[in-house]
Amino acid sequence: MSETAYCAMQNLTKRFRGVPAVRDLWLDLHQGERLALLGPSGCGKSTTLQLIAGLLPPDSGQIVLDGRSLVGIPPERRDMALVLQKGLLFPHLSVGENVAFGLKLRGVNRADREAQALAMLAQVQLTGFENRRPAELSGGQAQRVALARSLVIRPKLLLLDEPLSALDANLRGDMQELILQLQADTGVTLLIVTHDQQEAVVMADRIALMFDGCLRQVDTPEALYQRPSDGTVARFLGGVNFFGAVAAGNRLRLTDGDSLTLDSAHQGPVQVTIRPERVQVLAERLCSTNLLPVTVAQSRFTGTQRQLVLTTAAGLELQAWVPPGQSFAVGQTAYAHLPPEALWCWPAAGNASVAVPEPELLSH
Amino acid sequence: MSRNLVLMLIVAVLFLPFVPLLVWSVAEGWYFPQLVPQQWTGANWAAVVSPGSRVLQGFLQSLAIAALSTALALVVGLPAGRALGLMQFPGKGAIKLALLLPIIVSPLATLMGIQFVLIRLGLSGTLAGVVLVHLLPTIPYMTLVLSSVFANFDTGYETQARSLGASPAQVLWRVTLPLIAPGIVVGALFAFLISWNEFLLTFFVGGGRVLTLPMILFTSLQGGNQGLTAAIAVTSVIPALIFLLFSSRALQDDAAIGGLGDV
Repeated sequence: MSETAYCAMQNLTKRFRGVPAVRDLWLDLHQGERLALLGPSGCGKSTTLQLIAGLLPPDSGQIVLDGRSLVGIPPERRDMALVLQKGLLFPHLSVGENVAFGLKLRGVNRADREAQALAMLAQVQLTGFENRRPAELSGGQAQRVALARSLVIRPKLLLLDEPLSALDANLRGDMQELILQLQADTGVTLLIVTHDQQEAVVMADRIALMFDGCLRQVDTPEALYQRPSDGTVARFLGGVNFFGAVAAGNRLRLTDGDSLTLDSAHQGPVQVTIRPERVQVLAERLCSTNLLPVTVAQSRFTGTQRQLVLTTAAGLELQAWVPPGQSFAVGQTAYAHLPPEALWCWPAAGNASVAVPEPELLSH
Repeated sequence: MSRNLVLMLIVAVLFLPFVPLLVWSVAEGWYFPQLVPQQWTGANWAAVVSPGSRVLQGFLQSLAIAALSTALALVVGLPAGRALGLMQFPGKGAIKLALLLPIIVSPLATLMGIQFVLIRLGLSGTLAGVVLVHLLPTIPYMTLVLSSVFANFDTGYETQARSLGASPAQVLWRVTLPLIAPGIVVGALFAFLISWNEFLLTFFVGGGRVLTLPMILFTSLQGGNQGLTAAIAVTSVIPALIFLLFSSRALQDDAAIGGLGDV
């Protein structure tokens, strides 16, 4: 993997007053890849971004981009472009001059840089905005100009630092779409830093999940959701169902006595999880494997789905998110089907000492 | 409407005192019972522009000293204001207090020592010595104004510019300076006017050999020629007025202030 890496972070460590903010970080990006660095606030992802951009020197380790080591290379000569949370358009320049800023620094002549800036503005759907002042733009427009300004210099790596968190929800979806489109058109390698798992999942080919200055898991979004490496990862990505169990091959015996089938083999004490949206709730006993008789304890309609809290006879609590069409009354008995391929588990011991971030902390 | 009224009132209060000065400068005697002078003359203004009165010489000398000390105050005040406005470091409060000292402590208390040092350095009675001593009140004003400007400055603009390929010098020239330009104008206005009106420091350090407009004004006042004094006084307001007109235009440019909060 490291042989083909376009951008490689090797053994990066950064301490502030002795406290490590980033610890021994190894991460590879392939050319044209979209990678999201995801984690709660204070996990070191912004520090990592600053190390990559050259705004902070690492205490140890190095970054290699396109075969060139970036040790000691100042930010302006790293062939990267940074888009920050606030668009930070230069208020004393027009929109067109903002987009052409990087080209001017590179000595591109006036006619060429104006043509390139106009073409880039057209790509972010802001044709005709070149003479506006930044103060006249909406938040979404400003962020699109910031993107255009960064992409027009054809960076080898585009760094996005929480680029959408200042925008409202509707606009965010459009911007995600636009960024994906621009990335596909330009083929730029993209590193997006975010605390929003939804954004990471939508935007990235792979997600690097970071806690406490360390990478915890680097995987595709699907793998992170279905096969988290431990409880911290699962909880951060919205996992709610966790049970202790003892595995013997493909068989699982839950601590309350119920027994389930896995599609992989494990041994000994494990933690089991299943995504709430993968739990199927049936009114009748329609299949025989992994079926738990349950009582509906709570039913909440959220618009796009129905969130059920189910309890088994043994007192096990289970959340299931089912299509809104399915309706269950509180107190009703039903059957929860846990498909073997949706169950995931990891050794229980390794998880014991891991601190789990508070959900409130994660949302913002 | 009422806003216009207030504006007119302010203008009246500011500029009415100049009306008698203007009248005096063109009057041939203007004594108590007379509402307006009986006779008019251009002699005072002729004297102002004639080389013999040395008003023009003093004007240019004052201009040079004020411009130089403003520029030097900017060279010191820009980095100092940035450090005080943006950074946290031990002793910051003490430095701010020390900056205020030249404003708090009367120059009379310090002039003796300053003069002693300048004589030793051979700078007493020279233009360089006067410029140097004018930095005493101008640097604190410039630094304090710029530190409050930098306190509202978002260094994210500089980060952004660097990531787009700007070297530190290019960041300063193309981003930082344009963004803090309104603050620089305010600081320069303060420094220029302080230096322009400075009498005591110039008088001592210049030792009569460096002739600035305030010194000529003072001499004329002592001479008892009210008409000429009035004409010189009006002359001494001209650069301040020009500077104010120029800077108010710069300060009204919203786009220029966009990078800052409230200056």
